[in-house]
Amino acid sequence: MFKHRPACIAVMAILLLMLSACSHYPADPDKTLEKVTDGTIRVGVTENQKWVQLEDGTEPQGIEPDLLRDFASQLNADVEWHQGSEHELVQDLKHDELDVVIGGIAGNTPWTTHAGLSRPYVETKDERGTTVQHVMLVPLGENAFLLRLDKFLQAQEVRP
Amino acid sequence: MRSAVKEAHFGHTTLPDEQAQALRKAVKFEWITVGFLAISTTIVFLVLGNSQVMKAAWIEDLLSFLPPISFLVAVHFIKRPPSIRHPYGYHRATGIAHLVAAVALSVMGAYLILDSGLGLLKAEHPTIGAVTLFGQTFWLGWLMMAAMALTAVPPVYLGLVKMKLARSLHDKVLYADADMNKADWMTAAAAGVGVAGIGMGLWWADAVAALIISVSILRDGIKNLRSAVGALADARAMTYDDADTHPLTGDIDRYLSGLPWVSEARSRTRDEGHVFHIESFVVPKKKAATLQQLEDAREGCIELDWKVQDMVIVPVAQLPDEFLPGPTSGGEED
Repeated sequence: MFKHRPACIAVMAILLLMLSACSHYPADPDKTLEKVTDGTIRVGVTENQKWVQLEDGTEPQGIEPDLLRDFASQLNADVEWHQGSEHELVQDLKHDELDVVIGGIAGNTPWTTHAGLSRPYVETKDERGTTVQHVMLVPLGENAFLLRLDKFLQAQEVRP
Repeated sequence: MRSAVKEAHFGHTTLPDEQAQALRKAVKFEWITVGFLAISTTIVFLVLGNSQVMKAAWIEDLLSFLPPISFLVAVHFIKRPPSIRHPYGYHRATGIAHLVAAVALSVMGAYLILDSGLGLLKAEHPTIGAVTLFGQTFWLGWLMMAAMALTAVPPVYLGLVKMKLARSLHDKVLYADADMNKADWMTAAAAGVGVAGIGMGLWWADAVAALIISVSILRDGIKNLRSAVGALADARAMTYDDADTHPLTGDIDRYLSGLPWVSEARSRTRDEGHVFHIESFVVPKKKAATLQQLEDAREGCIELDWKVQDMVIVPVAQLPDEFLPGPTSGGEED
């Protein structure tokens, strides 16, 4: 059982390394939560019925922009809106140019390899009677920010 | 569990009490392993999330089903006595099971290396969000670590027990399965450490932990693979862990050579899984051996070890070099 001593030692070393840096847990590799707190949340929006409504000259309206405004005020942050197609927004998310992407995105979105998903915060039925779970997209691996968003979303009573 | 010690057989070999008990214990522990795996695969599946290591740990759990199942299937077959269709008995079932177990172990090691290596190269940042349980929303990573801690403990114990039984039964399937259990708890531990590392903001911790573990798993797999293929290809008999040549061939040669009517004796031995098939060539001193002498010599060898099962003693005028390569018998060559 102790034939793999080098492997065990290596694992122990990693464990110690991690214990030694235990202030924020979980933490973001790219510090998204730190950057947006008391700062600016960059939100990608794409139009989608009642979820996100865009009109020239005004701020985005709808269920999800409202949620994001509340979330931002919790973090004492301003919101910066960026409009684009889902594809463009996901690319921006990947390249650290956005913090959240909204647009009535469903839990079974094919973007999972490029973006992290929040937990579904509300369920609706589409015209075929299939249940749709609504999520938001966040940068991959920014777990502290994601957890903060998840906690906020789970605490909301969303009525579509 | 039945309390009375029933006679156990490998083909027409009646097992000594120690081995019969070990066999019953091994069967019991393999069933426990299957039961444990069924539970742990379910738990891990429920908390999979986005972690590469968690996914790998789950696939590895699925592969872990192969060694215990192949052991149980093999045990079912090797009990059968030799038949017209199978005059050598069914002992090779063990060799086949060992091969299956070894392939499972190797595939698991190779898969883990590729999977975690690619994850590192692509700098994939594993995303683990929240989970809501009993009205509480908390980080899914905690649940993953708890699941890993739970699934890491039983295989440590199972592996230790099987390692002991493998030695007693000379059972390489059990040995490979004990290696698999070691791989199980090591990947579970690595996955726990990996998730803990992700929590620290170290996106690479997950993949690095898996990579370290997978190298040692692949090494175990290849070792078992070589041994399984070797035994099936009639390599000389080795100990259960392939650390050494099995001493029995040398013991038999010494026993036969020590008989007063024998001037020289050499044997070749095949490992049939649990029992050995042995062909011994003896050169009688007076160029003749009585049937009684041959019969007694065979009985004497069978008493040396329960593994001496199918034994043929051939009186010869001189040792046939073509059947017995190498300078000495047993494992003393090289």
